[in-house]
Amino acid sequence: MTRNAYPLARTTLENGLRVVVSEDHAVPNIAVNLWVGVGSRHESPGRTGLAHLFEHLMFQGSRNVASGEHFSLLMDQGARLNATTWFDRTNYFETVPTGALELALWLEADRHGHLLDAVTQQNLDNQRDVVKEEKRQRYDNQPYGTALIDVYATAFPEGHPYHHPTIGSMEDLDAATLEDVHAFFRAHYGPNNTVLTLAGDLTPEHGFAMAERYFGDLPPIELHQRPLLPQLPPLHGAVRLDRVKDVPNDRVYVTFRLPVDATPEYHACAIAVDVLGGLASSRLMRRLVRRDETATSVGGWTMGLVDGVGLGALTIDVTPGADAEAAEAALCEELARFIEEGPDAAEMESVVADTERAWLSSLASLDERADHISQYTLLHDDPDYINHFVDHVRAVTPDDVRAAAARWLQPESRAVVRFLAQSDAEAAA
Amino acid sequence: MTTIARPEVAAPEPWVFPEATATALPNGATLLTYDVPGQYVLSIRVGLPISLADEPRDLEGIATVMARTLDEGTEHHSAEEFARLLERKGVSFGAGIGDAGLTMDLDVVKGNLEPALDLLRQILTEPVFPEQEVARQVRTRLAEIEQERAVAAHRAVIEFVRTFYAEDERSARPIGGTRETVSAITREAVVAFHAEHVVASGATVVIAGDLSDLDVPDLVGRALAGWDAGAVERPSAIERAATLAQDRCRIVVVDRPGAVQTEFVIGAPGPDRSVAGGWAPYPVIGFVVGGSPNARIDAVLREDKGYTYGIRSSFRPRRSGGLFLTAGSVRADATVESLRLLVELLTSGREGFSQKEVRSGVDFIAKTAPGRYATADQVADEAVIMALDGRTTQFTTDNLHDLVTVDAARVDAAFARFADGAGIDPERPGSGWTIVLVGDAAEHMAGIQGLGFGSVTVVHDR
Repeated sequence: MTRNAYPLARTTLENGLRVVVSEDHAVPNIAVNLWVGVGSRHESPGRTGLAHLFEHLMFQGSRNVASGEHFSLLMDQGARLNATTWFDRTNYFETVPTGALELALWLEADRHGHLLDAVTQQNLDNQRDVVKEEKRQRYDNQPYGTALIDVYATAFPEGHPYHHPTIGSMEDLDAATLEDVHAFFRAHYGPNNTVLTLAGDLTPEHGFAMAERYFGDLPPIELHQRPLLPQLPPLHGAVRLDRVKDVPNDRVYVTFRLPVDATPEYHACAIAVDVLGGLASSRLMRRLVRRDETATSVGGWTMGLVDGVGLGALTIDVTPGADAEAAEAALCEELARFIEEGPDAAEMESVVADTERAWLSSLASLDERADHISQYTLLHDDPDYINHFVDHVRAVTPDDVRAAAARWLQPESRAVVRFLAQSDAEAAA
Repeated sequence: MTTIARPEVAAPEPWVFPEATATALPNGATLLTYDVPGQYVLSIRVGLPISLADEPRDLEGIATVMARTLDEGTEHHSAEEFARLLERKGVSFGAGIGDAGLTMDLDVVKGNLEPALDLLRQILTEPVFPEQEVARQVRTRLAEIEQERAVAAHRAVIEFVRTFYAEDERSARPIGGTRETVSAITREAVVAFHAEHVVASGATVVIAGDLSDLDVPDLVGRALAGWDAGAVERPSAIERAATLAQDRCRIVVVDRPGAVQTEFVIGAPGPDRSVAGGWAPYPVIGFVVGGSPNARIDAVLREDKGYTYGIRSSFRPRRSGGLFLTAGSVRADATVESLRLLVELLTSGREGFSQKEVRSGVDFIAKTAPGRYATADQVADEAVIMALDGRTTQFTTDNLHDLVTVDAARVDAAFARFADGAGIDPERPGSGWTIVLVGDAAEHMAGIQGLGFGSVTVVHDR
């Protein structure tokens, strides 16, 4: 047990809406957080980016709410709100003063139940333009901005739900029609495909009653969900993609397929990646940055996903003038050494202490706590996971980590994406 | 069918910023503690009123390199060992310098406060700045300079300060120094800068979080007893307003041939928190003009035109003087039209603000306060911002009380005071603003000149 367990109460309405309440009266605020079980992994070919474009339309009015009113009504009451779309889900959230809870639920129920009354071609065209600018701003007009898109396409096979990014392609965004939007809403937006979390200044009884009052009338939808895909095995033989770009220095992404999220083997892989590249005292930091000086910085992260695979990455920002291939070869040496010897006691202690602080920091705010609760309820049917996450990490042994690395982080299982600086590449040519 | 009418909203409960307990430490530092029940990760902050103007001109960036090397080796531990010591206790550590001064951030779970304070003691009193680590931080900063040049938003800010401030002002140059000055930084210079400036006198130490059953003043007092007071009087450069460039009202285009977007930074001199008429109206103006999807700018450029993912405006107070800044990016082929609209919308405050707009801004800022200051991190950050502004969080509380009395007349007066000071004349479109664009100069140059907003200069990076 982590020392400070957050209280959790859950219920399911007759229409299938899962409701979780976490009571906390420290501040007169309530975090309202909805996770809908639809993300870019549910998109069909030719319609990539639709889940995210759809999320934008959820702010453009619904049966009883005018375009833009969702933002203005809530912000006038002191709400901080937004929405995000990811591979496995779409997330809508606001943190409101206690007295504005019912307004927030009324607005959410109106758009989650009755969006289509208000969707127009004009709204679709406008938000399509906004999303294209989002893509240009966050991806196309940033150095390395499109690297992760290349990573997904390189690490995951064509046709796999994680092969394409959430932002989609310009062509597919252009192709989205009003009919697509209607069909998407009917297929995915319904109480039985949604989790509602309320965290903060309320009791479970009040939260459940309010959920029933505002969402109880929404009809369930007919869900056609395929079973989750079987686990993808590690790659057999390294694959790679090079891009020569106008970037300031070479950057190498060495990535791996991983087990799915919230499994002991995923945690073991996450620890391995932390020890190798994530910690400030990581092995790659010591080897590439401090000793060899072939990197100005290194990184290590994992991405937990549910549909048959996860993703792990070790990144190298290559020192200008140093050799990207040599740096990658040194990384592979460190991988092989780690697979041979596993983590030592100090490394394990560091990962656990670092994970605990980061996790508790994240739960310290109502909005992030509500978000984690929604996540583990929607994707793993276990809201209490938030109170046990650190215990799960602590339960992993050095042998587990070594074994997981041996299975998932073999150098020959890597998918490598390199963004190479134009001038270096020209000089080498 | 939804048949329920839109619910009424009950008025929010009264709320005040958590109260500080101040303790004067013998070495001249001030300890501020904030008990925030239920916050089990404690936030420790150290704020030092060090001015960037204290950096030697030819070694600018030295404060940044020094801050980043503080935990890279101490009298008893190598850089690697120290990183491991921090991590084994789950302590996150970071340090950096800005216009307001030097700050250090440590977060740690409650049970590890004592070891965290001992590590902070070593960072403050025993850093040795090994040659190799200083050289590494210099290299890292040089790489970062190239990355900042490559990111349009960063590049725009670099050009903005260069255009906005007088040439001999420290503020006209990047906080972390330039390629030339950073390359010249040596270990000896870092050691000397540290010895002179990272001293206890005038420093503020903040600890926020669930402090029940902890005697924080005793723990901090013992841990930091050996931190030297240093010079009693700190230099006052940090309290002086920066001089602006005589020719700051102009347009500069940083050329990015083929860019798919154009990045904007548009700014004018703004007030600091001691402005006549009170600070409270200014965040309201920022919100109404460019603080939300329904703000004046995004209502047109995003929601109507679809030119942008979002553009934000805000007043940025410094200890003396400040800025009103607007930043964001637009689709390349909408560059000229966006610039025209932005200047029009930014100047529209001259015609006044509606009661409804003002109410929205006041309500949003006032009613979000309990949530914006709920975590240990948020409380500690606000405390150190106030300390480096020569204030306490009593200002935060007083300002919130004043905010709810702000009406359209006060907002109009505040905007007029700002616009008069900046020289924004609605009869002369573009007047008063410093405008930087990062985008395809050849593509947009004629259109920008055609707007008649004043002189346009093009800058080429390579």
